[in-house]
Amino acid sequence: MEKQFAPKIIAFLCNWCSYAGADLAGSLRFQYPPNVTIIRVPCSGRVSPMFILKALFTGVDGVLVGG
Amino acid sequence: MPRIGVYICHCGENIAGAVNVEEVRKYAEQLPGVVLARNYLFMCSDPGQELIKQDIRNGLIDRVVVAACTPRTHEPIFRKAVEDGGLNKYLLEMANIRDQDSWPHWQDKEGATEKAKKLVASAVAKAAYLEPLEDRFVEVTRASLVVGGGVSGMFAALDLANMGYKVYLVEKNPSVGGNMAKLDKTFPTNDCSACILTPIMVQVGTHPNIELLTYSEVESVEGSVGNFKVKVRKKQTYIDWDKCTGCGDCVNACPAKVPNEFNEGMNNRKAIYIEFPQAVPKRAVVDIEHCLNCAKRVMGTQPRIHSKTGEPILAPCEKACKTGACDRSRAYNPEGELIELNVGTIIIATGYKVMDKEPFKEYSPQSPNVITAMQLERILSATGPTDGQLKRPSDGEKPKTIAFISCVGSRDKRFHTYCSKVCCMYMLKEARLIKEKYPNINIYIFFIDVRTGGKDFEEYYNYCRNLGIRMLRGRVGAVDELPGDRLRVRAFDVDLGAPVELEADLVVLATAIEPAPALEELGRKMGITCGSEGFLKELHTKLYPVETSVKGIYIAGCAQGPKDIPESVSQARAASSAAAVPLTLGKVIVEPLISEVNQRKCSGCGTCVQLCPYSAISLVEDKGKLHSKIDEALCAGCGICAAACPSGVITLHGFTNTQIFAQIKALAS
Repeated sequence: MEKQFAPKIIAFLCNWCSYAGADLAGSLRFQYPPNVTIIRVPCSGRVSPMFILKALFTGVDGVLVGG
Repeated sequence: MPRIGVYICHCGENIAGAVNVEEVRKYAEQLPGVVLARNYLFMCSDPGQELIKQDIRNGLIDRVVVAACTPRTHEPIFRKAVEDGGLNKYLLEMANIRDQDSWPHWQDKEGATEKAKKLVASAVAKAAYLEPLEDRFVEVTRASLVVGGGVSGMFAALDLANMGYKVYLVEKNPSVGGNMAKLDKTFPTNDCSACILTPIMVQVGTHPNIELLTYSEVESVEGSVGNFKVKVRKKQTYIDWDKCTGCGDCVNACPAKVPNEFNEGMNNRKAIYIEFPQAVPKRAVVDIEHCLNCAKRVMGTQPRIHSKTGEPILAPCEKACKTGACDRSRAYNPEGELIELNVGTIIIATGYKVMDKEPFKEYSPQSPNVITAMQLERILSATGPTDGQLKRPSDGEKPKTIAFISCVGSRDKRFHTYCSKVCCMYMLKEARLIKEKYPNINIYIFFIDVRTGGKDFEEYYNYCRNLGIRMLRGRVGAVDELPGDRLRVRAFDVDLGAPVELEADLVVLATAIEPAPALEELGRKMGITCGSEGFLKELHTKLYPVETSVKGIYIAGCAQGPKDIPESVSQARAASSAAAVPLTLGKVIVEPLISEVNQRKCSGCGTCVQLCPYSAISLVEDKGKLHSKIDEALCAGCGICAAACPSGVITLHGFTNTQIFAQIKALAS
């Protein structure tokens, strides 16, 4: 059977809230698919539109900004 | 070319249980720039850290990647190891393969291993572009703010003051004391609450290092550890506290009647009032909402003149006041006074409130003889509405049968799922006080579980049972009103396996402990998160129980969760010692992860100036050309300026464009 499409997702997460939230999800053993990888940023305001474009142009299917 | 060392932690089974560590190590070894990759059972242990140090000392590596748990807790440890090895500590990058990989992907071992590889690749890519940075130090304002003047806040303030630091103690009510001041006796020793608390209140009120700001609230908090700027609103008392002696003459003269909050609404106070007899500071306050403006003496107006005597017509409170503290002609600002405090650390000890009985319709809250445990506490107290006489509210008669109901609002999905922790013990205490005084009164306690975990608590419980207090296991379904001011308690006795009914003269509800009102708002002002139940969240339940996610802000007492007095005091004293650390050091390290402008290339457009949330950027003129300048002391390193700069000439150290682009590239491939 053909493997189901799993989008490659990059999440830019603010160190103080959503990155901490992702840590908390882990320590509570909440399960989610492993195809989302996280880049830690000091604030969601640090996320330049260039980062998002760069990600999409280099083959990422989705970008999540959390802050 | 950087020489990167990669260290992969097993974290016992925490990582190795889901991630194939050896596979990740082999993968890391062939990544560009990586000269060695090792794995170890616990990287944060002494031998684990030694691996890193040795490799640095042997000149093998000049960049370090640690793939382990979250950098939020362990980055400082590994930075120290890197520094001890002889490398700049900012030449470290962490890959979070536990909290954000092995734990949330525990069911998908293959996926977790693949993700670990990606996260390591991302960290390695960033590590190649890491630059050495130097720490900055900021001077600390050697003063502390304590919010909340209950038993926790007072102990925290006293400890800091005794260490020699200036303390501002902010309390929203006119007096310090908090909830403990309302209690009659305290478990497990039956100490009289007033006897042990009032001396502490006096100490707080007279300590030369404590500035008491009662009837005040925190308006805003800015800054960071070492240098917080706090705006505090001193609410308008409409009384000159410098002149007020707390004699109470104005209170006696006042005709207005307002339900007395201190006595849980069971009697009335006046519109001008002193919160309770042992208040510290003992000063009167005008409750302007309920003031009747007798003799048409609206605050800030001149008195009318009597047509016959030519004397000014004064309100009774003014007439009674011998010191001139009560002067209604003065133009008071209803908003009070806004003052600004500079402090190095903050302790939040805002305490709790007990739920009232209204939401529990099944327990006939409309009946005056259904009361909360806090109301019973006031009835038992010598300063309460009945002067300590056991009288039920409806007719002032002494009840013959009393039923206590536990877990009212606690451990109940409709209200609060948590256990309020102190109810079992305070019910036993109240029952014991009554039973010891009046052995003929029948006392029944309906419970789900009796929780008496605490030093000497179980002994206390056994003693109460031996006194003849009856314990019935089973949740109470309803309390009905019967003729003749009687109440019927209907419950299901689990031990008997049958429904039971009981007639009582007084029903006491052990209502839940809730966070103090506006705690969530206060948390938001300070940047501290609340848990799902509304109590402030500590940094780490076990290891950092008084710290919060904001450096320099600490928590104590029931602001963090339900607690008894011994626990609150212990936590308060722990918080004060934690809050004293930065004050004692005199300076705090500020990470150099801040923004820098390439002034030569800056076009001076001013975009960043508008966007900076910390007002750290200004436009300066140099040789007739404008360019922006970042104040290092104010910059918090959020990087908004770096993202927004149209010329791309602002660098946020530690999170540079090059570093993040490298991470994106590594993750995308």
